[in-house]
Amino acid sequence: MKFILRTFVIILPVALISFFYIYINDNDYYPGADYRNYDIPQFELTELYSKTNISNEDLEGTYLINVWASWCITCRVEHGFLAKLSNQNIPIIGINYKDEREDAIKWINKFGDPYKLIIHDYKGSLALDMGVTGAPETFLISDGEVLVNYRGEVNNMIWQDVFIPVITKYELFK
Amino acid sequence: MIKKFSLAILLSCNFLFADSLYEFTSLENEKRFYNMIKEVRCPKCTSGSLASSNAPVSEDIKLKIVELIKDGKSDDEIKKYIVNRFGRDVLYDPSFDKSTYFLWTAPISILLLALIIFFFRRKV
Repeated sequence: MKFILRTFVIILPVALISFFYIYINDNDYYPGADYRNYDIPQFELTELYSKTNISNEDLEGTYLINVWASWCITCRVEHGFLAKLSNQNIPIIGINYKDEREDAIKWINKFGDPYKLIIHDYKGSLALDMGVTGAPETFLISDGEVLVNYRGEVNNMIWQDVFIPVITKYELFK
Repeated sequence: MIKKFSLAILLSCNFLFADSLYEFTSLENEKRFYNMIKEVRCPKCTSGSLASSNAPVSEDIKLKIVELIKDGKSDDEIKKYIVNRFGRDVLYDPSFDKSTYFLWTAPISILLLALIIFFFRRKV
């Protein structure tokens, strides 16, 4: 009996410590990043400049979706890096989030346009359906499926840590 | 007389023009709504329920819940809708499934283990 007790006294803490060690060192965890896969929702909105209708069926292939707004300060910080990505021929689709059309166009004219296409989401309905909590947010999407969702500013470090592993895993942008 | 009359109108203003922020078809639905927003975490806040939060995203989710209730969706369907978008950690009351069974059973099993050890030790 004493033997069982003694082994228990050793095994229990060791088991608990190793459990939490494994749990904490879970490599999938990165603050702000979400790797759940889900389909992009159906939507029917307009393009920012031309006001033509856009639905989820118009989006094809592999691309980034960036949620931004002219009132969003962090989006300005992020803008330079998005321009770099766009120069590397990575298609970025913008979702203009809860913003006035004129303000958004003024903002783009002032800071440059890294987007292939901008969807005007005035009420934030598409953003809510995609699980956006605020601007900026960036999604990596391939064939209508969200692979990564990052909440916050994307810079070189985030790009290398969060997006590049997934891009190499699925061999995207080739 | 005019003074009294205008005073009466002034005092009743609050009640005449009071309107609720969210519209419901029945009292039951309203109760469901106010229970639900206490059980869902605001995804933008460190820790706080939708009920406690004025963040834009919380307002949006609350309006969406009202809309879903109006559409006749059940509580489970609404929670599923929110979890699909904002992750499982938005629920204050985690569901019991494959990934959470350890979370739910650990306290009881550790307590049982402790009790078993305790009683065996007494007999020795």
